[in-house]
Amino acid sequence: MKFFEKLMKIDRRIIYLILALVVIIPFLRPFLIHPRAMPPVENLYNHIDSIPQDKALVISVDYTPDTEPELQPMTIALLRHAFARRVKVGVLCLGVLGLGLAENALTQVANEFNRRATTQADSIIYGRDYVFWGWQTPALTVILGMGERISKVFSVDYYGNKTETLPMMQKIKNYNNVGIIVSVSASATPLWYITYAQTSFGVKVGIASTAVQAADMYPYLNSGQATGLLSGMKGGAEYEELVQTRLGITGRRRATEAMAAQTSAHFTIIAFIIIGNIGFFVLRRRKK
Amino acid sequence: MKRRIPLAIVFIFGVLGAIPFLVPHRIIQDADNEFRNSVLRIIVAFSLVLGVGSIIRHHYEKIRRKRENWQYSYVTLISLVITAIIGLFGGIEANGILPTRFLVPFTKYTFHFDIQTLYTNIMVPLGATMFSLLAFFMTSAAYRAFRARNIEATILLFSAFVVMLAAVPLVSRVFPKLSFFSEWILTVPNTAAKRGLGFGIALGSMATSLKIILGIERGWLGGTQ
Repeated sequence: MKFFEKLMKIDRRIIYLILALVVIIPFLRPFLIHPRAMPPVENLYNHIDSIPQDKALVISVDYTPDTEPELQPMTIALLRHAFARRVKVGVLCLGVLGLGLAENALTQVANEFNRRATTQADSIIYGRDYVFWGWQTPALTVILGMGERISKVFSVDYYGNKTETLPMMQKIKNYNNVGIIVSVSASATPLWYITYAQTSFGVKVGIASTAVQAADMYPYLNSGQATGLLSGMKGGAEYEELVQTRLGITGRRRATEAMAAQTSAHFTIIAFIIIGNIGFFVLRRRKK
Repeated sequence: MKRRIPLAIVFIFGVLGAIPFLVPHRIIQDADNEFRNSVLRIIVAFSLVLGVGSIIRHHYEKIRRKRENWQYSYVTLISLVITAIIGLFGGIEANGILPTRFLVPFTKYTFHFDIQTLYTNIMVPLGATMFSLLAFFMTSAAYRAFRARNIEATILLFSAFVVMLAAVPLVSRVFPKLSFFSEWILTVPNTAAKRGLGFGIALGSMATSLKIILGIERGWLGGTQ
């Protein structure tokens, strides 16, 4: 009897310790598990893959440092894909705390490509291949304003350059020149893009969200309002897998690396739930 | 007068905010653009002043009255001042008028404290640490709360298992159909529930907005109605 009672009342500190171990150990001894891309991820990949040369991919970095481990790998994978396909990229933030993360991602991926580049044409050059517009507020002004004229919303970029003077911005004027906006977010900002940018201007919207938030996004995926969805760490890992296997772009795959820790954490949580239920059922049967 | 003016402002701007979505005429759209691009931004700029003022006042009062954990307020205020100075005068990556990069004497290393370095090395780990604590609480809560007490709880438990297992690439490789079943759970029952909730929330928001715009709901004015 006492054994089953104990099964139902495991001290929370023991649970914390076990979880910490199962998360930390896979990072110390990593094993890569290659995920298989699900249709929502593949749809987003295919859409970005087919963006014509005269249109841009817009990435809205709408997350903060707390969700960086889950969402930053998605931004990096999206940038690798776009740069490999020579799709022009515009990056903006609806929240001020996303600026540093966007800057880190852009610098990292641009450096990766530039280290491999042998000519000027191979290189990823700021202003020609990508622009970091920075942050503006309020969000409604930004989302609707970009439909009219991007350079009016962001008169200067993150580094203080006049946006209109940048070569890329000669062709990318408003949503008519945008292939898709991907909102990488831990909140409801992708829905703002759907509500305002898509409804008013017809621009395509892709979503990259935390696993917790993803359930809220499925109605929009079903209705076709969202072109694709990267859901949580697994979504990021699936996108990394597509970028590497289809384009041969190598680089650190943080989402795929984290899959081992996520796998062991999920198994641990499931094991604890089963243990709790065994105790619950045995005690209930004995009470009867 | 103290009540009528705010009520009139809310009514006018509430109606003006809705009209551009219903009337596509150029005059209305231009007026809306001007309102959004100029007026709204100025109002938001004021909120920054309000926010900074509020945080300084709150922590100053906490220190003055020596309320619980008042010592931490010093950390907040000092961090606020230092970050603001470095951000305003140091540039993004040591390209401002304030030098934020020094060569460490007798070494080849440089010491950085520009805003991007501070952000990457302080804000990012702090934020990620706070959020990662959730994993511990969630595990503990799932262990204590997820009990198959009745049929509804059992269905919930089963769905959670499927979605959690499908998020594991190893399981998806061994049982490919499990991933598609998880997708079905999210795409069909989840969407049905979310749409129902969404309609309810949207109708509720519309009703509340109308009540505020028309001055029926006045709780936001503060005090008694």
